[in-house]
Amino acid sequence: MTSRREFLVLLATSTAAIATGKAMQTSPTDVDLSKYKWSMVVQVDKCTECISKMLEKQGIKFDKLPLDKQNELLRNIRPPCVKACDLANNVPRMPNNPRFDCYMIRIIAAKATEDASWRFFPLMCQECEHPACVEVCPTKASYKRPDGIVVIDLHRCIGCRYCMVACPFNARTFTFMDPLEHLEKINPEVPIRKDGVPMKCEFCRWLIDMERSEGVKNPKPVCVQVCPYNALVFGNLKDPNSEVSKIVRTSKVVRLRAGLGTDPKVFYHDL
Amino acid sequence: MIEFKKIDGRSNGYWLVCGIFLALTIWGFYAWYLALVYGHCVMGLSQRVPWGFGTAAICYTIGASAGSLIVSALSGVFGKEEFKIFSRSACVFALGTIVAAMLSIMQDIGNVENAMNVLLHYNPTSVFSWNSFLYSSYFVIGFVYLMAQFGEKRRITKALAVLAVAWAVLVHSGTGGIVGFVYSTDLYHSSLTIPMFIVSAIVSGLGLLIPMWILTFKWTNRPLDRDLMWYLSKVMGALTILLLYCFAAEALDTAYVPGNAGAIHMALFDFRYPYAWVFWVIQVGGCLLTILILLTPWGKTDWGMGIAGFIVAIAVYGERYTLITPGLGYPKDLVPGMIFRPFWIVPYYPSWVEYAEIIGLMSMACLVYCIGLKIFQILPERGEVEKA
Repeated sequence: MTSRREFLVLLATSTAAIATGKAMQTSPTDVDLSKYKWSMVVQVDKCTECISKMLEKQGIKFDKLPLDKQNELLRNIRPPCVKACDLANNVPRMPNNPRFDCYMIRIIAAKATEDASWRFFPLMCQECEHPACVEVCPTKASYKRPDGIVVIDLHRCIGCRYCMVACPFNARTFTFMDPLEHLEKINPEVPIRKDGVPMKCEFCRWLIDMERSEGVKNPKPVCVQVCPYNALVFGNLKDPNSEVSKIVRTSKVVRLRAGLGTDPKVFYHDL
Repeated sequence: MIEFKKIDGRSNGYWLVCGIFLALTIWGFYAWYLALVYGHCVMGLSQRVPWGFGTAAICYTIGASAGSLIVSALSGVFGKEEFKIFSRSACVFALGTIVAAMLSIMQDIGNVENAMNVLLHYNPTSVFSWNSFLYSSYFVIGFVYLMAQFGEKRRITKALAVLAVAWAVLVHSGTGGIVGFVYSTDLYHSSLTIPMFIVSAIVSGLGLLIPMWILTFKWTNRPLDRDLMWYLSKVMGALTILLLYCFAAEALDTAYVPGNAGAIHMALFDFRYPYAWVFWVIQVGGCLLTILILLTPWGKTDWGMGIAGFIVAIAVYGERYTLITPGLGYPKDLVPGMIFRPFWIVPYYPSWVEYAEIIGLMSMACLVYCIGLKIFQILPERGEVEKA
């Protein structure tokens, strides 16, 4: 039987615990993520210029290459956005082992007809509004944050790879072996993955969360920060004055595989 | 009244069979150990083909289990009393293969330590999540059904048989949905996948059970009614024809979409890759050979029926392979309406580790069956129907 004294002590500690928890929840650093809808616009003209110049410097005529050489080149090309992403996000690159090579950003070349000229652009997770990966994940390890970023909870993921199969963009890769052995440098801000889990671009959420908590008005992922051509525009679609909103509102932009209805939040301008 | 008895299980032959299955099981578990230590790089998988033999093994073992349970319930559900002699052994095999299926899921996932999360964090939109519930409940229903049979509780057995068949169909429909509901891959999304999974489940279940029963009764010196075996073989043959019809319908359904032309051409006609070989030689060829064997007089013999069953069981495994891998090996149409690069077809060849894992698991199911014969009363004294 609990005495009145014990009951009061229990009541007081419970109240204190709830109050502390509440206080932690409403700390000033905690921001309502639903105010944001992070999105990106890729300006394909500028990306094409960047990649074309890189190829020109190396004396490579992409159009003249046979298919397998074009594939190999695009697998290994590392413009500033890809290089910065790999380093910042602990992406284990294995250029000599294309079967297991991980990536977050790939460079794609596309043209409308045989005689048209190639256009180059990066392809990363399209941060879909209705993501197939989230739909199929058996443990809710893949989920969409209120700000629209699709993330992977590595503590929950079982490594079934259903998300990779369901993704319309092949945006996810899997750590087939210990990633540590293939990292040039380790960024301590980003969790180091183990083998047997998928990875994908998360719009550098560790960075934008950090910058936002420090009061930065327009946080940007590393690929956007390092792009020498300002080809990548990042921002909040819910803010009508953001650059992203203005471009999407006023220009002709397309979304990849829009017909599937996943509603990607990466837009391609001038594709 | 059918009298079920334990087998003696003291002969050298019995221990040899158990020893072979045990050795293969250990080999399979060793392969799993390698995958756990070195990662999934020991398999033939790649970033583009992240599902392969392991995933095919999951579908296959679940199918074989569902098929076996449906056969087990023939007497209870359809009133075919003459098949009651097989109901216990088929049920034990169904339980053995569902355990193999659950273990093959464990082998296939990359992060085994988080496996329990499937049960802890249910995602109602994930077919895989539905299946975690269906597989575990299926095992429980199958187990209770077997216990009811041991207890000779006629009405409960009948009721459980109906439930078990319904659940087996549900379980395998869920498995078919894992692939059939994926809309992002040209060769995946098909409403035919689920019914086709059910047909192939019964075919593979019978394909494994027929040779198993023939050998079991022969080696334990029990008489076996050839007419019953021939009846089951005819059912298997008829369903194999239905399966071939489903293959044709699904292939034509996919091929009719102009955007799928490249993918379907690779999967069916490009013999530079393994997919077309598996489709024509193992899947279609295996089914045709089975039908051909059953149409000859030799097909009515023990050897004929047993070999036909074994071949169609392998053909169904080929079907699982071609259902899963070619769709991944062919590049997704990332930029619709445009020519794009990189664009290359990834051939998928399973490594010995993947072969060892599936052979090990199937051997484990057979070992469970062999041990079950010795411990429980699952085999009738006579494999014949008493004529009135």
